[in-house]
Amino acid sequence: MGRLKSIWEVKDLREKLEREPSRKLPCIVVSNGTCGQARGSAKVVKAFQTKIKRHNLQNKVMIRITGCHGFCEVEPNIIIQPEGIFYQKLKPEDAEEIVGKTVLNDKIIDRLLWQDPESGKKVVYEKDISFFKKQNRLISGNSRFVDPTSIDDYMAIGGYSALCKVISDFSSQEVINEIKNAGLRGRGGAGFPTGIKWELCRKAKGDIKYIICNADEGDPGAYMDRSLLEGNPHSVIEGMIIGAYAIGANEGIVYVRNEYPLAVKNVGIAIEQARKYGFLGEDILGTGFSFDIKIAKGAGAFVCGEETALIASIEGRRGEPRQRPPFPAQKGLWRKPTNINNVESWANVPFIIQKGAKWYSKIGSNGCKGTKIFSLVGKINNTGLVEVPMGMPLWEIIYDIGGGIPGGKKFKAVQTGGPSGGCIPTELLNLPVDYEKLTEVGSIMGSGGMIVMDENTCMVDIAKYFLNFLKDESCGKCLACREGIDRMFEIVTDISEGRGTLEQLDLLEELARVVKDASMCGLGQTASNPVLSTLTYFRDEYLAHIKYKRCEAAVCKEIISSPCQHTCPIDTEAPVYISYIAKKEFTKALEVIRKDNPLPSVCSRVCHHPCESKCQSGEEGEPIAIRSLKRFVSDYGIKNQKAASRKQKRPTIQKKVAIVGSGPAGLTAGYYLAQKGYLVTIFEALPVVGGMLSVAIPEYRLPREILNFDIENIKDSGITIKTNVKIGKDLSINDLFKKGYKAIFIATGAHKSLKLGISDENISDVIPSMKFLTRVNLGKTVKIGKRVGVIGGGNSAVDAARVANRMEGCDRVTIMYRRTRLEMPAFKEEVDAAIEEGIDIHFLSAPVRILTENGKFKGVECIRMKLGDIDKSGRRRPVPIEGSEFTIKLDNLIVAIGEKPDLSFLSKDIEISKWNTIVVDPETLSTNRERIFAGGDVVTGSNTVVDAIASGKLVAESIDKYLRGESLAREYKVTRPSIYIEPGELTEKEIAEAKRPKMPCLKVERRVNNFKEIELGFTQKMTVKEARRCLRCDLETEDGKKAVGRE
Amino acid sequence: MITINLNGADVQVEEGWTVLDACKFYGIPVPTLCYNDGLTPYGACRLCIVEVGPSENFRIVSSCTYPASEGLMVRTHTKRIIETRKMLIEMLVSLCPQSKTIQDLASKYEVTRVRFKPKYEDCVLCGLCVRMCAEQMDAKAIGFVNRGADRKITTPFDIKSEVCRTCGGCIYICPACQLRCQGPEPPGVLCNSCLNISYPCVDVHNNVMCYMDPCGACLLKEADEKRKESK
Repeated sequence: MGRLKSIWEVKDLREKLEREPSRKLPCIVVSNGTCGQARGSAKVVKAFQTKIKRHNLQNKVMIRITGCHGFCEVEPNIIIQPEGIFYQKLKPEDAEEIVGKTVLNDKIIDRLLWQDPESGKKVVYEKDISFFKKQNRLISGNSRFVDPTSIDDYMAIGGYSALCKVISDFSSQEVINEIKNAGLRGRGGAGFPTGIKWELCRKAKGDIKYIICNADEGDPGAYMDRSLLEGNPHSVIEGMIIGAYAIGANEGIVYVRNEYPLAVKNVGIAIEQARKYGFLGEDILGTGFSFDIKIAKGAGAFVCGEETALIASIEGRRGEPRQRPPFPAQKGLWRKPTNINNVESWANVPFIIQKGAKWYSKIGSNGCKGTKIFSLVGKINNTGLVEVPMGMPLWEIIYDIGGGIPGGKKFKAVQTGGPSGGCIPTELLNLPVDYEKLTEVGSIMGSGGMIVMDENTCMVDIAKYFLNFLKDESCGKCLACREGIDRMFEIVTDISEGRGTLEQLDLLEELARVVKDASMCGLGQTASNPVLSTLTYFRDEYLAHIKYKRCEAAVCKEIISSPCQHTCPIDTEAPVYISYIAKKEFTKALEVIRKDNPLPSVCSRVCHHPCESKCQSGEEGEPIAIRSLKRFVSDYGIKNQKAASRKQKRPTIQKKVAIVGSGPAGLTAGYYLAQKGYLVTIFEALPVVGGMLSVAIPEYRLPREILNFDIENIKDSGITIKTNVKIGKDLSINDLFKKGYKAIFIATGAHKSLKLGISDENISDVIPSMKFLTRVNLGKTVKIGKRVGVIGGGNSAVDAARVANRMEGCDRVTIMYRRTRLEMPAFKEEVDAAIEEGIDIHFLSAPVRILTENGKFKGVECIRMKLGDIDKSGRRRPVPIEGSEFTIKLDNLIVAIGEKPDLSFLSKDIEISKWNTIVVDPETLSTNRERIFAGGDVVTGSNTVVDAIASGKLVAESIDKYLRGESLAREYKVTRPSIYIEPGELTEKEIAEAKRPKMPCLKVERRVNNFKEIELGFTQKMTVKEARRCLRCDLETEDGKKAVGRE
Repeated sequence: MITINLNGADVQVEEGWTVLDACKFYGIPVPTLCYNDGLTPYGACRLCIVEVGPSENFRIVSSCTYPASEGLMVRTHTKRIIETRKMLIEMLVSLCPQSKTIQDLASKYEVTRVRFKPKYEDCVLCGLCVRMCAEQMDAKAIGFVNRGADRKITTPFDIKSEVCRTCGGCIYICPACQLRCQGPEPPGVLCNSCLNISYPCVDVHNNVMCYMDPCGACLLKEADEKRKESK
């Protein structure tokens, strides 16, 4: 095929191509972009080619090797056209089966299908996959229909028809008007109206004009330009030719980074082909208009994405920007008028011409038209390129298309626009994404990178990361940018390593503004965005690093040492005791655990192990089973009757302290105060000691003899516990002072169940969960019927359900929860166990009405919910679906939607919050009344055991300081273990076998009718092996490296 | 001639002038460091920043590289400019506290504290020497290498340049190698001696210098007192 000389010849050729019989054949479309190749798609292609040959199907099935389909998470993938069957995560071995079963026999191979994580269903067709469903793949979608190295493929789907239309019907001004009317704005990030830009350049004086395609995509985590150039280069070239026609340019340049070899190659091929067909070169299609394109390869400097730096780089000078004006439209490349647009902007042009400005301007939001491709990366289930209409809310992109956050973690922030963008927090997830809205919240559209971050991301660390990137990528020409970024990096590093001061924080903010204002080019002017946006939305995190030396996400190494120890509310030195376990020194391990925890056996069974959720082994694989290791050690202690050591006891101080409530907070405070030598008395209203531990937690999770072992140990430290004494009834707070107690700690917990707030909930068969659990645990008779319903999704709901399920006469238990499994606050393993035990869980259902007959409870009417936008807690809001009411017949209903403290015993002078909790100074736990302290659930509302222990520990410190007449102010230090232990070496075999063991449990049929402890505990062999798997993060700090003599 | 608005007053400037040219012509003091009359403006030190409009948001640009154009609005001494400039000088001092030029700038613009750790660099990367070498000496013996925080000025491949005639132009123009006033060094990196001049004609020598009526020292003292009062 030679040069085409007129648009009629183009038309003839297209018709001929469309009629080609091979285009009607079934086609296996293999995604073979850079991301696919990184995951082995080239081998998959080869496998298909050999299989097709072997089955002699060359004339019956086509193979099309294309660029990326956008769904990078499941590369390599294929689409079988025309049906659109989508197979994912392929290996070369799968080719045989696909050809044999699907291509030849129309059978679907189930295991290769994509599974919807929400419904768990397998999806056959591409169009039904949630990732693709909500997208509008205007620009990126054609990649799957064309082989990027074939101009014929592009022409067969209508390629170069926009060019023909322009040449035959449009004057250059009309083209510009069309682009203006469409409302296309620069996709490189600044969003300048493309039509106006073209017009400026067209009107500029001069015979020689240039157009440039900016493909210097350098942001970490953005690759849509690469994907377009790799997958559909002709669309960019066609856009450029149309642009050249409108502007009157004769030479075009594609400035593409050399690190994109496939893109460079494919664009090169495309230019060659376009030249061969006569779309480029002299006298294009016989119109007299001449235009050609060259490739300029960039050396990979981020700053060369800035237009003046890019021009300098093409001219062979240092890639340094200069101040505008003059703008490139007046003086650009070689001091001639030049128009620069981004790859995606150019790719939009043919569509606008083909379909018309009116059609195009209907897509998108007010002022921002068309679609935008985002690269959705980071902590997201469906990593990939997504193309959505402008103005789509962020949460739709992240949850509906992106599939949410992996591992059920909580969303924290999304960074848009690459390193110079800002971090957008949870509360702004309802934001529609367009240029103006993003700028309003302190971020930018940028190139369209979208980095999703979950709760395990530290925002100080993120700011530090981007500053580090920009520090190296700044050209260094102007002082504000070069020195400013370096200084910001210095300050943020100080903060992230625990040396930061509050003055530095102010300086950081001031400096960030100066860099933004005074820098010469866009790089410096946006470089402060990560700092400023994190300072706006996550200032607390900076303050926590500076004031409390805490990194909530457990990321900043020099502050946290090891994440497990840092995350533990009571500072348990997990890496130390794990190291002792690995050396089989269990007694030493036990001592380490007991040093920080007077209730080790309890915690080893019921702690919600925040340590494991931050464990580094869990990043790629499963976290160390820290709680189970502790369980083995504490069981070892019980078996060998190792009492806690009491060496550190001071001589008795003749000062009396009263503690109200014998839950974990009260017991812990009592233990540590007694250790310090005070005379401690604990008053307990119930007949048993332990608070929630003994009345709320069922025996199958925490056997009473285990609890009592810990309590006896605490009692041995010399405290007195008086049960059946209710403060407020038997004694008042003032009575305690009169009796000579110098300080009082209130730790009465949260024992009152919240109410649903619907009518008839007070009838006898509707039971609050706390009442139900307390009565069962105290051994009182509780009668329940055959069918029991539980409302709620927290731990007390699951506990109540599992207890009811174990009781005589109960057949079936149903939990109703208004959100989904992902949002359920109950511990995952508890929910799993409940399902194993045969408990039904109705997700997305909320009670509306209690059904009664003659005043007798009959059941409950529920309504189905669906998840909508994001609420304040950062979870998706459940919205009732109208008309979806359904009824469940029940004999009993247990209401477990939360607990609050009962504060009726308090005198009025103690401040109470609107959530009915006691107000305390969080740093000292002192109340507004002198000598009275409070902690545990009575302050926080229902909370975890380990947090209660932490408050007990803290209050012991505070009361001690108070009674010695010292200031209560605390000093905060970075986390460090008290001793560094030399790590053991693992053999190759051990490394290969390293895997978290499963906790041995009682079989379901042997546990559902009794209250025996379910978890049986690790064997010694399992324990030691698991302990040896620990990565020993504590050795990564400077102190750690020094201590073990490794640099 | 074109008209621009300089700090609220419409003034006439020649076509082709930069904003800095205009400011100088009309006697508005704008500090510079990387600017030199005989060299191409570079815009690197950012000290000559001014606000330009018209628009709702005045943006900050370096006046040495910004061409004056008809109807341009320029503001040279707003609070935003003064504060930004002070921060830039603060960074310069911390970068190179031993330079007299920079210490003088600090005193002149009342930078009285430095909150960054001093680096004691012997180069502030203003690029004067590079332009001097290329434009006035026609040698191009030195240039910038690396980017970002690693940027430095050197000869090609860090070896002695064949085109260098050791004319010394680079050293002559360098603002960093002018050592600050010798004498007892005050604590910290800031000199600020000029801000703390004690006046000779006080109290004891009441009339010593008063054949100059009024003497310069008295005027300075008066101005100083006024300034303190107004604060």
